[in-house]
Amino acid sequence: MFEIFVCMLKEEWRMHSTLFGNLNFALFPILIFGMAFMGTFLIPFTSRLMDVNMLAVSIHSMYCIMGLMVGSFGIMGKEMMNRRFGQGSLLIHSARSLPISERRLFGNFVVKDTLYYFMLWILPFCLGFLIASPFNAISIHYPLLMFVTASLAFLTGMCTVFILSSVYSRSRAALYAVIILAFAAFVALYLISGDIMRVMRLFMLPSEIFLNFSFPLLIISAAVIIVLFIPAIFLFSPETHAGEKRYVAVLCPLYDRLSRLPFIRGGIDAEKVSASATSGASAPAASEKDFVYAAAQKELTIIAKDFIDLHRSGIGIGQTLFSFVLPVGLIWLVLSVLSDVLRPEQIFMVIAAVTGIIASTMYTWLTEFESFSAYLFLPVKVSSIIRAKIMTFSVLHVVPAVFLIVIAAVTGVLASAVFAIVFAFSVSYYALAIMVRYSGLSPSLMLYSASFFLRYSLFLMPPVIILLGLAFIATGFSLAALILIIPSYFLLKGSFEKWDREDLPGF
Amino acid sequence: MESVIEAQGLTKDYGELRAVDGVSFSVPKGAVFGLLGQNGSGKTTIIKMLTGQVKITEGDCSILGVSPKVDPVRVRSLIGIIPEQETPPSFLTSIEYLQFVGRIRGIHGIDEKAEFWFDFLDFADKKDVLCKDLSRGTRQKLMFAQAFLDSPEVAVIDEPLINLDPVMQRKVKDFLKSYTKEGRTVFISTHILENAQEICDSFAVLHKGSLLYTGSVAELNEKGKKLDDLFLELVNRA
Repeated sequence: MFEIFVCMLKEEWRMHSTLFGNLNFALFPILIFGMAFMGTFLIPFTSRLMDVNMLAVSIHSMYCIMGLMVGSFGIMGKEMMNRRFGQGSLLIHSARSLPISERRLFGNFVVKDTLYYFMLWILPFCLGFLIASPFNAISIHYPLLMFVTASLAFLTGMCTVFILSSVYSRSRAALYAVIILAFAAFVALYLISGDIMRVMRLFMLPSEIFLNFSFPLLIISAAVIIVLFIPAIFLFSPETHAGEKRYVAVLCPLYDRLSRLPFIRGGIDAEKVSASATSGASAPAASEKDFVYAAAQKELTIIAKDFIDLHRSGIGIGQTLFSFVLPVGLIWLVLSVLSDVLRPEQIFMVIAAVTGIIASTMYTWLTEFESFSAYLFLPVKVSSIIRAKIMTFSVLHVVPAVFLIVIAAVTGVLASAVFAIVFAFSVSYYALAIMVRYSGLSPSLMLYSASFFLRYSLFLMPPVIILLGLAFIATGFSLAALILIIPSYFLLKGSFEKWDREDLPGF
Repeated sequence: MESVIEAQGLTKDYGELRAVDGVSFSVPKGAVFGLLGQNGSGKTTIIKMLTGQVKITEGDCSILGVSPKVDPVRVRSLIGIIPEQETPPSFLTSIEYLQFVGRIRGIHGIDEKAEFWFDFLDFADKKDVLCKDLSRGTRQKLMFAQAFLDSPEVAVIDEPLINLDPVMQRKVKDFLKSYTKEGRTVFISTHILENAQEICDSFAVLHKGSLLYTGSVAELNEKGKKLDDLFLELVNRA
């Protein structure tokens, strides 16, 4: 049995090191260590602005979200691998070919994930915190405790996704009911207590243990994990084949509807697009205009396909909830406690900046579940695929726009909404341009690449912080973020040439 | 005889590994040409270079006079391709996938053409089923349909009969033979030598990235030789 566990560990390491390169991947924990080490030196300064409770809740929430993500990949791994790599699978899905039960494989998988991600994310972070603590007059009690509480937060996230997926595999309505109930409980507790931080600490119990350690709380937190995990392991079913799904063809009607959107259409006459297709627009004799029309037709087709993918796979709703609304909402709640030190407009601008950065990750929604070898044998350039993804990305920006308007309305800063949207969109497109430049069509695969992570942070954070500083002076200054259009344009232009030149790695 | 596919010293390196080493051949118009080799011999890499799916390290090639080095998109617009082990996008239905390919290729009258292929390959009942829910055999039929949707001058097929049942294999073999009678060309790669001897006019044997032999099936038949005997002889000698 131990062999399976060791093989799963090797599998996880090889999958990551193949995707990101041995050195890049091996450097990733060192990068996390460095960030935690240096971040600890900032605690004395940030604690003047930011409540330490809030910082603790944020860090533990981050580990909980990470557990959610890791658990999701375990459950969805086979589907993701198949979509991404054509034919691929993980050992967790090998019960059919090995004399071992699905539950035992699943048990090994959970222990492996806990150990693996503890080594990758938790250990380097806590070590950095531990080593830097004595230099900052922080008791080493806290970093030592964080080894335990961060692991608990990670396990809580992972077990939550296991139980939710088990519920989902039996009833989609039940899943929605559980989510709505959890949300309602959160809101009700907030309304009763009137203290958002207390409610968050209750929901994120490991952060409460970190702040007010007690053995009963530790036992309760461990019990929550066990209570979530035991039914999950009994209900676990990695193969959820629901039979053949049939749909009415919507690609062409959707294509026609999208072609009417002005910013997608770009002033191209639909009839001419059609005419250029019949004349074989890629023939040498075809005019440059014909090439443009033909390229527009290809890109529109890919956009229509992407929307169908988002709708039918459930990624659209799932990602909007878990990858956008949940993290941005959490940050909004966390930032709301800054009202003593910052004006509502300033808090709103911080939310806009964070929304912009998180909105840029919508590009990964459009790329992470797809095998690009599916396009390689078609007459389409990589740059056309990227352009199409960017246009879909643009349409999806209605989500952050609505989110910011809602926050502006709730917090009474509606007059700043337009400025915040401009700020968030500028940041989002700039972050997107950096992602496209360095990772092309595989941004999510670069998650654990130290070099990508470093370049992304170095390019993105300084200008965003400077622009945020300007927006703090006066909300109107947030329009200065429009300057990001210039580097974004050149980064994207260079990216199109770069990715057309290179072989798509590994696919 | 006019050749539609030309390869001169084709070489491909993947890092330290030389996958294809200086391969040259030509394929005449109106022929079924078979590229034969063991697993890992470089067949798929050659197809990818010919069709501009990967960059050529050294040498050059052309299909219908267009080099994939110069204009890979144009090469792919001129030909139909069935890649090895390819899965169509998961969340499109079969008909939507053919419409998708048709729109990308700028084909008109897609629905009528798609109908023909659904009937011909006997999977009209799967028209509105999501690609991810199709069996492997049906996916192969779908990939076949997308490649021949607009009757291209040249079709490049990686393992054409893989996953197909015997009845469908016979149908596809007959189709490929009749297709070239109209002056079109089919380039296949396979390691199933019985099929190659049955449908190919000429062939090349590839071993560890290098070309060992080129010849015609007619010559082989005249000598009463079997392709698999020749293949084993060549590979064992290499």
